[in-house]
Parts: sequence; structure tokens; C-alpha cells
Amino acid sequence: MIGILLTKIRMFIRNPWTFIIFTVMSIGFALIIGGNGAATTISVPIYAEDNSVKGSTLEKVLKEDEAFRFNWLKEEEEMLEQIENGKAEVGVILRDTSYQLIVGVDSPNATMIEQAIQRAYRAHNLETALLEVSATNAEEERVSVLEAFDKSMNIPAFEMETTSFRSEDAVIYDNTFQTLFGFTLFFVIYTIAYKLQPILVEKRDGIWDRMILSPVRKWEVYVANLVYSFIEGYVQIVIIFCIFRFWIGVDFHGKFLEALLLITPYIFSIVALSILFTAIVKNVQQFNAIIPIIAVSMAMIGGAYWPLEIVESKILITISKINPLTYGMEILNGVVLYGYTLEDLLFPISILVLMGVVMTGLGIHLMERRHV
Amino acid sequence: MLELDGLSKKFKQFYAVKSLNMFVERGEIIGLLGPNGAGKSTAISMISSLAEPTAGDVRYNNKSILKKPGEFRKIVGMVPQEIALYTDLTAEENLQFFGRMYRLKGSILKKRIQEILDLVGLADRKKDVVQTFSGGMKRRLNIGVALLHDPELLIMDEPTVGIDPQSRNYILETVKRLNKERAMTVIYTSHYMEEVEFLCDRIYIMDQGNLIASGTNEEIKRILSSEKTISIKSDQLNEQFIAMLQEHPLVNRVMSTDKEITLMVAKEVSMFGDLTKLAETAGIELTSVHNKTPTLEDVFLHLTGRALRD
Repeated sequence: MIGILLTKIRMFIRNPWTFIIFTVMSIGFALIIGGNGAATTISVPIYAEDNSVKGSTLEKVLKEDEAFRFNWLKEEEEMLEQIENGKAEVGVILRDTSYQLIVGVDSPNATMIEQAIQRAYRAHNLETALLEVSATNAEEERVSVLEAFDKSMNIPAFEMETTSFRSEDAVIYDNTFQTLFGFTLFFVIYTIAYKLQPILVEKRDGIWDRMILSPVRKWEVYVANLVYSFIEGYVQIVIIFCIFRFWIGVDFHGKFLEALLLITPYIFSIVALSILFTAIVKNVQQFNAIIPIIAVSMAMIGGAYWPLEIVESKILITISKINPLTYGMEILNGVVLYGYTLEDLLFPISILVLMGVVMTGLGIHLMERRHV
Repeated sequence: MLELDGLSKKFKQFYAVKSLNMFVERGEIIGLLGPNGAGKSTAISMISSLAEPTAGDVRYNNKSILKKPGEFRKIVGMVPQEIALYTDLTAEENLQFFGRMYRLKGSILKKRIQEILDLVGLADRKKDVVQTFSGGMKRRLNIGVALLHDPELLIMDEPTVGIDPQSRNYILETVKRLNKERAMTVIYTSHYMEEVEFLCDRIYIMDQGNLIASGTNEEIKRILSSEKTISIKSDQLNEQFIAMLQEHPLVNRVMSTDKEITLMVAKEVSMFGDLTKLAETAGIELTSVHNKTPTLEDVFLHLTGRALRD
């Protein structure tokens, strides 16, 4: 068995392109469609009519805004042009004591932008009032007053904590995780399946017969193939998650290792599904034709492309119950987004393990019926 | 050593092999001759314990191998018709892989690999990836892999298909050498009668799943002791001439290619005069007419009415 594994690893090192292509595609699709994990910000063109605005607290507060990216322009016409062309929904003209909102598209964003502007003016006004009260004109003193103010704001006299409540049925949708998990679980199907495809080639070319005639036991040949495809599928998922976690900086809400650990039943079930299809098809051509169909169908029905919660068809929902990808997504979303424990996830894990055992048994049985 | 007793393999309503009886003595080279689809490969699969027969038995040292093939498999080296190698690996890596399958390890494996590479003449190409090899080199390595564990019985299923004459000669000489120097028993299937004639001590001829003749080369050719073969060559052979030959009362069989017609007639018959007249009537000029020594090809023609390579 070790000999078979070592040879497969050797062949992988010599030709790793399938693995690399599917890993890169997973990362690429997740990045392009899902974003890089940072909240997507709306760009708002802004023009300061009064020079005093620039460099004031107003500018500082607006720059720190997390929801909107205020894009400071030099000309008012430029801002108006952006709104006219539909490049921006709302534009803002700032003056020392007032502002003007220019709304191109009437959307909820306009209200939220106005609220952000108002927050900035409140901070600006508060600072101006503070400096007036302190009745100081020297620049050094003004700076020390503002520093003292900032310091006291950091150590408030009392704190107010705001909490929101969510019912158990509430759906959390995070586009970054939806695409990351969806595409990872989708592309890993190809990686795993194409690592079992050589069984068909080995049978066609007589290599399998040679192994059967050798003292190697048949179960060793099967286990070596299954273990190898499992390892390659798992390594692919680890690499993708590591890139998103450590390089791109996606926050797995402290459940990174748990996610990696709990996804193993999904990989097992995909290995099992692949061996089943390897047994059902008659040749490599059929296998190559059937795998993309199966993978894409599984991804569509299992919620890899879009959340299952938006699917209304009862038939599709029912079919999704026999789809390993559904449970894979359930596990990853459960552990990362909902913070579920192992106990909470026992149901999808058990289903995947059961699917894996049944499909492996059936696959090997079918394969053996065709071959001594 | 090995005995096949009424071995049959049926696929739905079709018999690939029907009641095959055969025996192999230690140290013999046995030829299994027949055209494509004769059932040779199916017979080989059953002999090597890779396919289960529908009926009959295979006995090795008087013990059936069907239920417990383990011991028998240890002494069998199988050379399949396909190139059963990993083409992404080098020759040496392939031998390492299959050597490990036979539980060979360390210095023993290393030594064995070197011996095999020398035997099949690939020592200088051992570090090359198999996909860069010529057809003949791949075939030689294919044989080498089967010899790694030093088998007593080597089963070769058409090992020279699609290769150049030099590589074919190399393979045939190697097989002969293995048989002479190591007393290796060989079962060799082919549809090339000249290979079987050159190599084999005894020959079994199969056609459409049936065994149609068996014996030594000479014994089989003696089937034609009452007949002789006449070869006629011409650049202008036509349908009319062939039809006339087929209708001729003294001609037993006619086989034709583009420029050659082979006739089988009774040994005492003289056909020269008749052939000249028939050629004249058909409007063709004969290039040559001569009597041939019977070959296995002629025997097959005599027994089946078809050429081996039909």
C-alpha cells in the first residue's frame, strides 16, 4: 500500500497541474465573486466648497467612516458629472457650517450617507465649541486641549453596550464565506474525482491485473487509491483556507481549525462518490463526461453557488438532502458563521459518514463484479 | 505442471472459449495461435486466474487454482497485450513500483532491477520517462516487469504487437534465452505464425473459441501431408480468375490477396497446365507459380478456410 501511495505522490510531483489549476480556480472564483473579506464600501464623491473644511475634523471623521469611502474631488463639476453618469448615487458639497446632498438615485444609501455627514458635523461642531470654551488661541494649547478631549473620550465616565438579538431560525448570509466555502467544496470534487480516474486507466492498460497477480492484497490497492485522493482533496482545502485566513485576512471567527477538522467527512463522502462513479462508468471518456455534470449539479442543488435558503422549489430542497455538498456547506456555515459545536453538527457529519460508507461499499462491489 | 480441463468462458450467449483442454509441461514453450477474436486472450486471462471460467478447471501441480489462486500467482509472470506501465514514470521507477508489489525491497530490489534492465536492453535508458520510449522499448520493459519476481511460468499475450522487426527479434531471442538458461515455462499467444513456429515446442491453434489443432510444429504440419500448397503471383489478378479456380474440381481451397493466390490441392495433382489455361482465359499474365512447403498458416487455412490474419 505504501508503495502505491509513494508512486502516486511521485507522479503528483511530476505532474501537479490538475491540483494547481483547481486550487487556483477555487481561490480565483471565491475572490472575484465573494470579495476579499473586507466590507464592500460605497464610493461617495465629495467636494469642499470652503477651504476651512479641508484638514478639519470633518475630513478626519469622514475618512475614518467604515461604510462609505468619501472620494474628495477638486471640482464641483466633476462630482456632478459622476452623478449624471451613474457612477455615484449621491454626492456631497461641504461648507464650513452646512452641507448639501446631491441625490442622483433615490436609494436608502442617501439617508445613510446623510447620517454619516451629520455625525462628522457633530464631531466637528463639538470640537469647535470646545476650543471656543477653552478660549485659547495659541496653537500648542489648542492641540493639548484636543488631546485631552480625545483622552477623556477613550476613558468614558460610563459605557453603553448595544446588543441585537437574533432568533434561531435567522439566516446569516456572508458573501465572502458563501463563495469561499461554495467554490472550495465545488472544485475539490474535481480534484478528488480526477485522482481516482487512474483506476480506469490502470484497468484498461492491464496495470490493475499486474497488481492483482502480485502478492499485494486487493484491499490495499483500493485503500491506497482512496487515501491518496482523500489526502489531495484535503490538502487543497487546507491550502485555500490558509490563503484566505492568513494572506487575505478573512476572519473565520476563531473557528479556523474547527472548520478544517469538521470538513473531513465531506471529503470522505466525495471520495466515496467518485469511486462509485468510477465503478459505474465503462471507460475514461464516460468518466470525464459525467464528472462535470455531477459536480455542477451538486453545486447548484447543494447551495455552493447561492444559499439554499433562497431556493423555494420543494423538489430541489428534497434532492439537496441526498447531496453531500449540502451537508458540507451546512458544516462550514454552521461552525464558522453560527458558531455551532460538534454536537450541533453531528447530524450532517453522520449523514456524510453514512453516505461515504454506503457509496464506497457499493462502488467497490460494482467494480469487483466487473473484475476478478 | 499446468492443466486446463474443459475450460469455457461464456459472455451472454456467446462462447469466447469453448471446452479448452490443454497441458503444459515444465520448461516448455507453448504457443497459442489464432486470429484476432479466436479466444486466446480470454484463455490467457483464465489461465492466469484473472478471469473466472464459466465451466472447467485450471490445475497447477494437480491442484485447482480457481478457488485459491494465491500460490499459483506467485509463480506466474504476466505480460499483457497492453503496455501495462506508468508512462509518467521512468523505466527504473516502473520496475521499483512493480518490484515493491512483489515485496522486493532494498538491495535485492536494486539488484533485480539492474538484472532486468540488462536483460531487456534498457540499462542505458533507465532514467528516461517511459512515454519517451519507442513501441519496442515499451514492449521490452513490459516484459521486464513480468520477470521481476523471477517467475516459473511466463504468460505472454501477443507481446510483439505493433513493433519493429528488430525489437520483435530481440523479444523472441530473449524469450528463447529465458527458456533455455532459466528453464522458464512460457505460454505465448500470437497471431504471427512465424513467431510461434520459431519459439514453441508445442502449439495449440484456436479459432472462434474452439481448439482446432494441437501438437508439435511438425505434427501440425503433418495434417497437410495429403495436400500441397501452390502459390500463384501476378500483377493482374482478377475476380474471374479467382472464381474459375474456386470452381476447379481439383482445387480444395483458394486464398487470395492483391497479388498472390494460394491454392491447396491434393499432393499428387499437377496444376501447372490447368493454371496456364485458366490464366489465358481470364486474360492475365502469371508472374510465378510454385509449390510451397506447408506452413502453420496453410494448416489454419486448411482447417478454417480463412487466413490467420483475417
